[in-house]
Amino acid sequence: MALEAELEHFETIKDGLIAANAGKFALVHGKELVEVFNSYEDALKAGYGRFGLQPFLVKQIQAIETVQFISRLFDPPSCHI
Amino acid sequence: MPHLTLPIGQGGPVLDIVIGVSQARQNALTANKQPVPPSVRIRGLVDTGASCTCVDPSILASLQLSPTGTTTMHTPSTGASPGTANLYDASIVLVHPQLSLTFFNQAVAESVLAVQGIHALIGRDILAKCLLTYDGQSKLFILAF
Repeated sequence: MALEAELEHFETIKDGLIAANAGKFALVHGKELVEVFNSYEDALKAGYGRFGLQPFLVKQIQAIETVQFISRLFDPPSCHI
Repeated sequence: MPHLTLPIGQGGPVLDIVIGVSQARQNALTANKQPVPPSVRIRGLVDTGASCTCVDPSILASLQLSPTGTTTMHTPSTGASPGTANLYDASIVLVHPQLSLTFFNQAVAESVLAVQGIHALIGRDILAKCLLTYDGQSKLFILAF
């Protein structure tokens, strides 16, 4: 799975981030939280600026993750339940 | 306000959009002296039932994109529990002869759509910047932005 290390690390630190950073965007590279940003675009730009074409994760910090609803029937290929 | 007036065909309100690498990724490719994959014109369905914009994996592969996120996604095929889909960053252009609207760093979810004759669902994240009129009696839709 892509971004496995980043996602695993994000899950371990998420609870500690929520109080002060709910709604903001975390930039994670490997097993390191790089920084928290106010917007998705800022986090994305910082990710490419610092890590170039290496993998990095941009993830919104939320107590309960927003669920995207798609009414059209399909299977996202990366979807895992 | 620029607007597009287009027919509603059998597939619904479909229009051509241009998708490419995000501006942030383009800067990184250029800084690393890597070629920037050319943008592609694809067919997108305006879908008010999609909370986020979705793109077929064949298009994401042609742009040589790697995921930079994930999202929790609920579709009729995921059943009672939502699944997780990869998110990619891309640029999307709603093409207008005089004044196009560009989303320079847009998150899009990976979804198999090509079998349905389209390559993207234009979701409510993009529609939030637009005015959509669906004139079923005239079989036309208008997208203004």
